[in-house]
Amino acid sequence: MTAAHSPVEAEALPDKPQSQRRRFWRRMFRNPLAVLSMLWIAFLVLSWIWPELVATKDPFKGDPTLQDIFLTPNGEYWLGTDGFGRDYFSRVIHGAGFAFQSIFIAMSIAVGIGVPLGLFSGWRGGRIDRTIMWFNDVIFSLPIVLLAFAVVIVLTPSLNSAMVGVGIAMSTRFTRLTRAVTLAEKEELYVDAARITGLSTPTILRRYIAPNLLPSLIVQFAIIAGAIILIGATLSFLGVGANLDDPDWGVMLSRSRVEFRRVGIWQIVPPAGALVLTVLSFNLLGDAIRDSLGRDKTSNALTVSKRVSITPTDRPHREDSLLSIRTMDVEFPTGGGDPVQILNGVSMAVQPGETLGVVGESGSGKSMTVLSALGLTPAPGRMTRGSVKFDGQDVTSISEREWQKIRGKDIGVIFQEPIAVLNPALKVGRQIMEPLLLHTDMDKKAARERAVELLAEVKVPDPRRRIDQYPHEFSGGMAQRVGIAMALACSPKLLIADEPTTALDVTVQGQILDLLMEIQEERGTSIVIITHDLGVIAEVADRVIVMYGGQVVEGGAVDDIFLRPRHPYTKALLDTMPQNHHGDDSPLAVIPGVVPSPTDWPAGCRFAPRCEHATDRCRDELPGLEVLAPGEVVRCHHHGELRELLASEWTEVTL
Amino acid sequence: MAKYIAFRVLATIPLLLAIAVLTFGISVAMEGRGSIAVSVCGEGATQECVTEVEAALGLDDPLPTRFVNWLGDVVQGDLGTSLSNRNQLVGDLIGERIWPTLSIVSLSLLIGISLGMFFGISAAIRPGGLLDRTLSIVAASVIAAPGFILGMLLSWWLAVRWGWFDPVGYVSMGESTSGWLKSITLPGIALALPTLAIVQRQLRSSMANALQSRYVLAARARGVRSSKLIVSHALPNAMIPTITVIGFRAAAAIGLTVAVEVVFGIRGMGELLVTSIVNRNVTVLQGGMIVVGLAVATVNLLVDISYGFLNPKVRLEK
Amino acid sequence: MTDSLLSVDRLAVHFGGRSKLFGAAAPTVKAVNDVSFKIDSQRTFGLVGESGSGKSTVARAILQLVDIHAGSIHLDGTDVTHVQRSAELGFRKRVQAVLQDPFSSLNQVHTTETIVGDPITRHRGVKPGNERRDLVGALLDLVGLGRDYLDRYPYEMSGGQRQRISIARALAVEPDLVIADEATSALDVSIQSQVINLLQDIQRERGVAFLFIAHDLEVVSHMSHEVGVMYLGYLVESGAAEAVYQAPTHPYTEMLVASIPFPNPREQAKRRLLRQSFKTAEPPSPANLPPGCPFENRCPVAMDICREEMPPTSVVHHGGVARCHLHTSGPALGGESVVEFIKSQAKGCVEV
Repeated sequence: MTAAHSPVEAEALPDKPQSQRRRFWRRMFRNPLAVLSMLWIAFLVLSWIWPELVATKDPFKGDPTLQDIFLTPNGEYWLGTDGFGRDYFSRVIHGAGFAFQSIFIAMSIAVGIGVPLGLFSGWRGGRIDRTIMWFNDVIFSLPIVLLAFAVVIVLTPSLNSAMVGVGIAMSTRFTRLTRAVTLAEKEELYVDAARITGLSTPTILRRYIAPNLLPSLIVQFAIIAGAIILIGATLSFLGVGANLDDPDWGVMLSRSRVEFRRVGIWQIVPPAGALVLTVLSFNLLGDAIRDSLGRDKTSNALTVSKRVSITPTDRPHREDSLLSIRTMDVEFPTGGGDPVQILNGVSMAVQPGETLGVVGESGSGKSMTVLSALGLTPAPGRMTRGSVKFDGQDVTSISEREWQKIRGKDIGVIFQEPIAVLNPALKVGRQIMEPLLLHTDMDKKAARERAVELLAEVKVPDPRRRIDQYPHEFSGGMAQRVGIAMALACSPKLLIADEPTTALDVTVQGQILDLLMEIQEERGTSIVIITHDLGVIAEVADRVIVMYGGQVVEGGAVDDIFLRPRHPYTKALLDTMPQNHHGDDSPLAVIPGVVPSPTDWPAGCRFAPRCEHATDRCRDELPGLEVLAPGEVVRCHHHGELRELLASEWTEVTL
Repeated sequence: MAKYIAFRVLATIPLLLAIAVLTFGISVAMEGRGSIAVSVCGEGATQECVTEVEAALGLDDPLPTRFVNWLGDVVQGDLGTSLSNRNQLVGDLIGERIWPTLSIVSLSLLIGISLGMFFGISAAIRPGGLLDRTLSIVAASVIAAPGFILGMLLSWWLAVRWGWFDPVGYVSMGESTSGWLKSITLPGIALALPTLAIVQRQLRSSMANALQSRYVLAARARGVRSSKLIVSHALPNAMIPTITVIGFRAAAAIGLTVAVEVVFGIRGMGELLVTSIVNRNVTVLQGGMIVVGLAVATVNLLVDISYGFLNPKVRLEK
Repeated sequence: MTDSLLSVDRLAVHFGGRSKLFGAAAPTVKAVNDVSFKIDSQRTFGLVGESGSGKSTVARAILQLVDIHAGSIHLDGTDVTHVQRSAELGFRKRVQAVLQDPFSSLNQVHTTETIVGDPITRHRGVKPGNERRDLVGALLDLVGLGRDYLDRYPYEMSGGQRQRISIARALAVEPDLVIADEATSALDVSIQSQVINLLQDIQRERGVAFLFIAHDLEVVSHMSHEVGVMYLGYLVESGAAEAVYQAPTHPYTEMLVASIPFPNPREQAKRRLLRQSFKTAEPPSPANLPPGCPFENRCPVAMDICREEMPPTSVVHHGGVARCHLHTSGPALGGESVVEFIKSQAKGCVEV
């Protein structure tokens, strides 16, 4: 039922582990910044290990005649010389050693203290955890430079003792991260499962927590390495780090900090360039690792799906429908290959004053159909074929601005997970008032009064008080009532309810459904209700559309379909419900196999691999959607022959 | 809300206490590494000097007594006398040096936070767009450059080459308001640039998360305009993690201002602290740490209070 | 103690209540209160309740995953309320679990062979290798997946397949009791029935007992021999599955029965009327339970006493127990079904 959020993620087939690792490296190598960063860091590591190989000149040897001083780059001195005539290139290369030695010392301390402490704190939890983390946060909140000062004054001033201070400061970053991951992983069911199977704590930490901790640690490692170099250079610049003659980048900058104003900006360029480039490389590397491990996030709710030319449909709209969708295709582009088709030729219509139920399992495309019809196809998905008509107007390709006038005014939408759809930072009253202020000429005062009335209409007790509360003060059921109030605010002609009761308790579900039915009776609003539960359909809908594998497989009046289903899938779905099971010891009816994936639709009828009545024709040829009567459709080669078989078995069971 | 603020104010007391212990710990740790007095007075120290320094530090008493005495003095604003100049009160020294530092840090935070937020929101509107990509590269580079390098570059172009500003020196507000503003502009910007980049990156990513949330989709389904989605729906939620980052950065900026002051030849807290380390002048360093600690605690308090305004869950808990 | 395989006696689990380091004390959440039931070997006890009812906490308490506040748990007469570290392995060998979310109950970094094989190594000392691979393969056959799945990672499988892996892992140590906590709830309807049938087959073949926990009364009563209904941490009714379902003695059970959506429009229309007699009110918070019956504010037949006193448990017509004043006070039903009484009391549903 997660299909509504992220249709492709939920359905796309996951990669194999090898290819996952390969994908990581492929992504890393495809990122030019990551490649350059890795090359630069590799070059510096080489300079650290064997500086003489890279730079032939002595970094300490100046020009005693003081002739070759403050030079800009030339053939002899590639990066010029400093105030003593020492070769800048050689000094910068030797500076890598100081940078990496700093990383080595500070990082050993930071990781050595931080990771075990974080693991311990997160795993133990409770009071010990709170105490450790409180002290950790005290250190964490102090400026690192200051901590380094404190350590330097106690120990002798040197880069190494400064790095001890930096290491201690940085350990708090690792403690925080390790503890956060451990705490989160500890709550994961698979850790419970491991404990239940009897695995010991060290085993669980090693085999379960550590592998999941490692990626975040590596990212953190890269970023902290950059920060260590930065702070080390700052300390050396201030004279509390490396010695005054050392070829350390910070010291070099410190030496030129006055002179550059006289002799030119070049004096700071070699060390500053090396420093910035190195820190940048570590940061970019960290970002690249993070990006290559995670999913691409390039879309959000604001991203209007890219407009592509929509193939018009040959199937005519019914004139009397309020909302009519005709042969809609929706596809999602993939990284390189063919786009994945999520919806194929979906048609449905809702008449004024009726309740249409849309039912299907996860991945059937039921939520996607309705979102796409409202111009809300989650990017990068896009409608490529079909036509949508609402209230006499063709809305297939109207602009976002035009949609804004319709959504919330003529069409109200109710979502699943009612608390998640309320903005946690805003009072519910303000959110209910929003459509009123947008779509009507009410002023704030009137809108507020109306919001109170609306809450009362959806039977929220004590509406005048609750209007000033925040979403987290509402239970799921009450939050859904708020959601309904918002959708109803401008008295829309059409109410779309996307799994409105899925996240709710069964006793609350009944009450929400009652409320929807009352609204329908009193206001004559048309309702489209999307659900995976045939019981919900039976409760509220007049007509039902059954979806499977991104297609409509059957549609008709609820009474007909529940008593005399035409499509084998509908029939099978009804039979698998325990409510329809009779006789205690016999097993439940099952639909064998699994729901097909959009990346791999069957060639013929999409239900054929799981259908007990399937023939060769079903496996080879996709049946079309046959219109039997207005509003009555079926997609099955054999629905005529099967009519009696499916219906008779069913009636036998009911009576 | 008043109750919440009062509670947060009380909650900073243990933080201040911890900073005090840490600061006090420095002098204790230094004793363990050899006599402070000798290191202050020099190798061939006269007994007189050593006795004087030891008495000034109260080294004869047991540790807890010394801590309580020391803390009592600190709370009353007595930070002791400088070890290198017995007539100089640490409190006076800091009182003199804190204004340039405070001016630079405040200006840098003002610039960094406001522009950082502006660019963060701009980048979030079209993730992966030209502006977003440009800003992300610029931000990454600026974060990689320490404030003192940025300061030298600014100084070179804006002061040395073009002569818009004086390359070094600080003018106090009392002397001339415009001169004061002019003297802190370059260091302020140098320190602000990394802040700006950090705030921009954080806000951009938390805005991107907020814009992917269900409540933004729901608001869009109510017909809410894009500009309003960003400002009234996504921003209040995206600000919550951003405020945390701003708090950390403010604390870091207080530390990093030291190096920027050095570049611009400004005699602020930075120079004071660095000199105190080189001279092993522990009372001055301790005084400086207390003041910085106080500043950090204030920043933390402000962050917590902003949380209360932004996050109803936090506010209503207490 | 008794002949029962598992016997839970007056179990209570409370969370929180301890003060933070520097802050106010968090309120105590009474997640489970005074819960008692027994499971005989080779039988299934179903525990049903809505979110916040404490049903999963009962499972976690039995599995030693949370601290027990009061009460006791016995396995074959041995006290296992607080299993000592030395005895833990022995306990784990006998009591296993299949957890709710098939997407997070398996570690993504291990293959099926490791996931199912680890407990075999731990409990039966079979080192990784061909022998263990065969044992895992046999288990995969048992759960209907086959040996093709030995080298697959969890993310290469669908929800139903993952849940079969979880079942194979639980069976790997040949336990006497398997706790299935919402084991089928996250699955699609067509897959859910496959897994339910599998669990029943396994019980027949291997003779394991189940504690089957779910929020869906229909599924629970289909799976179970006995059921217990939980509401806000209390076991409000328990007894033989069919009898509890057909003739509930607690108004909350009746509300649950009436709320099950039936895939039959005509049946559904009738049930709606009965359901509507229940009040729309938010259940109290488990951190702040009222002194009386926790269901009082939603109950259509609540009496004054219900507001003031927690009802005692009493034996009812189906041989089980109910925790409702209706059987002991006021117009005492004396253990009879509550259905007719609610119908007669609630106006507007004269004949349904």
